[in-house]
Amino acid sequence: MDPQQPEPVSYLCGDCGAENTLKTGDVIQCRECGYRILYKKRTRRIVQYEAR
Amino acid sequence: MPPATSAPDAPVAEGDAEAPPVPTYRSLAAPVSNPVDKFALLPAFLKVRGLVKEHIDSFNYFITKGIKNIVRANNRIEARSDPGIYLEYKNIYIGEPSVQVDFRVETITPHFCRLTDRTYSAPVIVDVEYTVGKTHAKHRKPSFTIGYMPIMLRSYACVLNGKDEAELARYGECPLDPGGYFIVKGTEKVILIQEQLSKNRIIIDTDNKGRVTASVTSSTHEVKSKTVICMDKEKIYLHLNQFTKPIPIIVVMKAMGIETDQEVVQMVGRDPRYGDLLYLSIQECATERIYTQQQALQYMDDKVTYAGAGNIKDGRSKLILRDVFVAHVPVNNGNFQPKCIYTAVMLRRMLDAILNSDTFDDKDYVGNKRLELSGQLVSLLFEDLFKTMNTYAVDRMNKNSDMARSSPLDFSQLIMQQDVITSGLERAISTGNWDIKRFKMHRKGVSQVLSRLSYMASLGYMTRITPQFEKTRKTSGPRALQPSQWGMLCPCDTPEGEACGLTKNLALMTHVTTDQEEGPLRNLCFSLGVEDLSLLSGEEIHAPGSFLVMFNGLILGKHRQPQRFANNMRTFRRSGKIGEFVSVFVNEKQHCIHIASDGGRVCRPLIIADKGRSRVKEHHMKELRDGIRSFDDFLRDGLIEYLDVNEENNALIALYEHVDQDGVQRSSITHIEIEPMTILGVVAGLIPYPHHNQSPRNTYQCAMGKQAMGNIAYNQLFRADSLLYLLVYAQRPLLTTKTIELVGYDKLGAGQNATVAVMSYSGYDIEDAIVMNKSSLDRGFGRCIAMKKYTVTSEKYGDGISDRIAKPQRDRDGVLIKQNMRALDEDGFVAPGQIIRNHDIYVNKQTPKVTNRTPGTALTDRDYRDSPAVYKGVDGETTVVDRVMLCSDTNDKLTIKCIIRHTRRPEVGDKFSSRHGQKGVCGTIVQQEDFPFSEKGICPDLIMNPHGFPSRMTIGKMIELLGGKAGVSCGRFHYGSIFGEPSGNADKVEDISHTLVKHGFSYSGKDFLYSGILGHPLQAYVFMGPIYYQKLKHMVLDKMHARASGPRVLLTRQPTEGRSRDGGLRLGEMERDCLIAYGASMLIFERLLLSSDPYQVQVCRKCGLLGYYNYKLKTSFCSMCKNGENMAKMRMPYACKLLFQELQSMNVVPRLTLTEG
Repeated sequence: MDPQQPEPVSYLCGDCGAENTLKTGDVIQCRECGYRILYKKRTRRIVQYEAR
Repeated sequence: MPPATSAPDAPVAEGDAEAPPVPTYRSLAAPVSNPVDKFALLPAFLKVRGLVKEHIDSFNYFITKGIKNIVRANNRIEARSDPGIYLEYKNIYIGEPSVQVDFRVETITPHFCRLTDRTYSAPVIVDVEYTVGKTHAKHRKPSFTIGYMPIMLRSYACVLNGKDEAELARYGECPLDPGGYFIVKGTEKVILIQEQLSKNRIIIDTDNKGRVTASVTSSTHEVKSKTVICMDKEKIYLHLNQFTKPIPIIVVMKAMGIETDQEVVQMVGRDPRYGDLLYLSIQECATERIYTQQQALQYMDDKVTYAGAGNIKDGRSKLILRDVFVAHVPVNNGNFQPKCIYTAVMLRRMLDAILNSDTFDDKDYVGNKRLELSGQLVSLLFEDLFKTMNTYAVDRMNKNSDMARSSPLDFSQLIMQQDVITSGLERAISTGNWDIKRFKMHRKGVSQVLSRLSYMASLGYMTRITPQFEKTRKTSGPRALQPSQWGMLCPCDTPEGEACGLTKNLALMTHVTTDQEEGPLRNLCFSLGVEDLSLLSGEEIHAPGSFLVMFNGLILGKHRQPQRFANNMRTFRRSGKIGEFVSVFVNEKQHCIHIASDGGRVCRPLIIADKGRSRVKEHHMKELRDGIRSFDDFLRDGLIEYLDVNEENNALIALYEHVDQDGVQRSSITHIEIEPMTILGVVAGLIPYPHHNQSPRNTYQCAMGKQAMGNIAYNQLFRADSLLYLLVYAQRPLLTTKTIELVGYDKLGAGQNATVAVMSYSGYDIEDAIVMNKSSLDRGFGRCIAMKKYTVTSEKYGDGISDRIAKPQRDRDGVLIKQNMRALDEDGFVAPGQIIRNHDIYVNKQTPKVTNRTPGTALTDRDYRDSPAVYKGVDGETTVVDRVMLCSDTNDKLTIKCIIRHTRRPEVGDKFSSRHGQKGVCGTIVQQEDFPFSEKGICPDLIMNPHGFPSRMTIGKMIELLGGKAGVSCGRFHYGSIFGEPSGNADKVEDISHTLVKHGFSYSGKDFLYSGILGHPLQAYVFMGPIYYQKLKHMVLDKMHARASGPRVLLTRQPTEGRSRDGGLRLGEMERDCLIAYGASMLIFERLLLSSDPYQVQVCRKCGLLGYYNYKLKTSFCSMCKNGENMAKMRMPYACKLLFQELQSMNVVPRLTLTEG
């Protein structure tokens, strides 16, 4: 397993696309535009898909 | 009702010798005018009206007019103790869709509501005037929100209203999405169109005992009642719920003040036959010795069901006659005359029906139906809730003032105390239960979840009409196809099975009317020469030659020149002076003119023709093409008008402009169809050449087209549906229809053009199975994506205690403690792109063990227990996390939505279908090397067995193959619209064959093929070409199920039921019967007694009851006999033992008598 240093996971705003970091208990809201849906960023791990 | 079509010359002409349409000298000499291509009107119509305009129109009417009428009718509330304390609603309107978050108002978009499980609703704002305090100081408060109302998408109140494609895209909305539905708690809800019998109209029918009845369902804002006049044993009675017994009708007439029999007979009509039929009724009245109004009322008073408070029956019947009996006919200042005439007209129509049996009304006739749309349904709900809210406020005000506290006595603070309106509307729309006690309305399933399986499915939902009566009745009448459905309701699109023929769908051009203001129309009628009813005596009403004028079921008066009056009204409508949906119907049989402006009538546009010559000319169409003229201009200029089902009976509608026809025959044509293909609905419109198919096949396709996978909307990848099936490489059909282009199916296809060889191959193609080409599957044929949404909510328990999302636990070396946490990130849930397998955790949630902790102390790790969300998938399948979305729901809880994607290629058992009701499963998948191939090197994608054709007679599918083949060779999409050959909207087989020959194919579409296995030419030529195939949502992967031993039910210890619980496979009664008949007794024994729930019991041989085994003493014991002497062991199903014990618990003693042991 890859040793993961505890870097804070960041999330993308569903409206403006700005990066947000969240801590537990934070309100889910974009800091830039106030949109209330955040998406998680794509994984940075290496993944291998089967293309059949 | 049989149409009273005024086609005087048609039957007459047939009798004549010169009538057959031999071209006469005159018609040959006439200048040749080319028929105008009117097709462009159809797209213009749909551009203006949209596909679901009736829903949106109806809701718009409600939020702009209906809601104001409701509030105006109930605009003032007063305290009971002191009428000086009041509140008055000055105005009401709907604001912009928004939510209140932390005392701030935020505007919302539909897509945001879908994603965050919110209700797309807008504030209902009122301007109020009210008094404050003891001094009754008048205050005004503008813009006061009394609740939130769910908003129909694309209505006036919606943010999407009037937006263009780019703006819609910015809102995250699909431009092809028709709107017309609501979003409640994140789910899309459609309020289905409800079909019911028209209100306030006389219906002559026979009841179940064969008696002739005339019934009226009256419905006004205040009362709803049903009046039935019925002929029993040649005497006529009135049935009304308020009377215990039927009342002789003459008594009723006398009670309403028509005391002389002569006047009654005059009102009904002077024809002696009417008098004969009335004779016995009049005699009966006389034998009862009722001669005066007073006597009649007394007679009726005795028969009142419920006398009301104080049990005083006196005078009740007069009130009932005034308020309940044909309630929609108004009684002004105690003047019963309109009611008397109405009753007489009912009687007359009834007697007419007895004398001439073809004047009976047909309940299934579409003209006698009204469609109730979402606007009307929401309006009923809102009216009820608004009144409830006001009564609450009044109650509370009364309580406050009774207590005589120093409270401000301020109504404005009381009306909004409970969100009656918000929660009431939301609850009704989300559950679909319309329970309105005030209007005696209890309906279930009014709203349904909008199916997003495919674009067609959601469109089909918007046009669906559900019936009101129960489905269990076996009668065929309401289910049968009505001739009056022509052009209004789709003849093909109806489900199979119990709802067959009852659930219908609107046709392409149908419009459902909304209410129109009555006052001006009524005045217009009088100005056009209608003689007022109150000025007429009974004798004059039915004077020969004059027609009664009925306006929305009420008798306005009579007119001496009915045809002229009708023509005048129509001229006014065509010139736009009165609403375009007002219908004028001259009923020759009933000697009536019906003017209708009520809502819920179905109607459709038609081109007006003057003596068979279309008013729409080529220059009009050119203006339309150039964009100068819109569909509404055609309406305004009197070129096109809407006809409802009743008025269609006064018209002679030609399919095409019969240029070559005789002038005499042609001159009786009054209207011309815009386009024959509009007879079908949206869903049936995607079938190519449906007029060449056997009719049930089209019906099957209508059901299957809704299950086909494909593209759902342009925003499909940004949606968060709980289950979404998408086709990876969806195509538009090679053989299209005009409807497909109009509704946008070519942009959001649900299928692929497969090259099909119609031949037998390998034996894995029997019973409609399909042999598939493996290489085609590798290239992406039938590949689909199944996306599932998994929602995890972090619950809150108060005191700041809530669930938490923990990061995956690792040991000291950083190795995960649990293997199934491998997909998790450091924040405790999965990330997009991650492969997730069965039993993997996707959200590592933890729940606090104790929820009632002393406040202040922080929770430590030890206070939480794991409650992870574990992914349940199919073993061996690779599924990928597509998106992870974070948002807070309406209660401010953190919700994590993981959308997990699974890409599937077709496998044996997956279901496919063409567009002709020809479904089949994939029987086997064969290597392309073994597939047949043609000289050109063309190899089919799938092989279909020819046995599918003879019995099903789907010629349309064959023509689709031919047309598709010609299409790919010449590079032009071919058309197959219904009845499209004359107008060029469907390619003819002859032309297709020419194209095929030109490109080196056989005219018949057959190809010379080589066997892929042996390499020799096949014995016969094979019919091969592209056919549009749909992949249906039924896939083996979601259905396959097998189990050996597994989970059991706690109570009975039998295997669980159902695939989702990994259940066992039941050996049912019929299987049991088979085994008994076969004599396999040991097999039954094993299945029933051993394989399900075997259990060992201790039976007392003496008392026959069950004992127990004492494990300490290693002996069995009977607790009844208090000893262990006569115990025997035996095996029986646990369920049997349970039954004995349950019987014992009910004081029934089952005793076992053992023959051995």
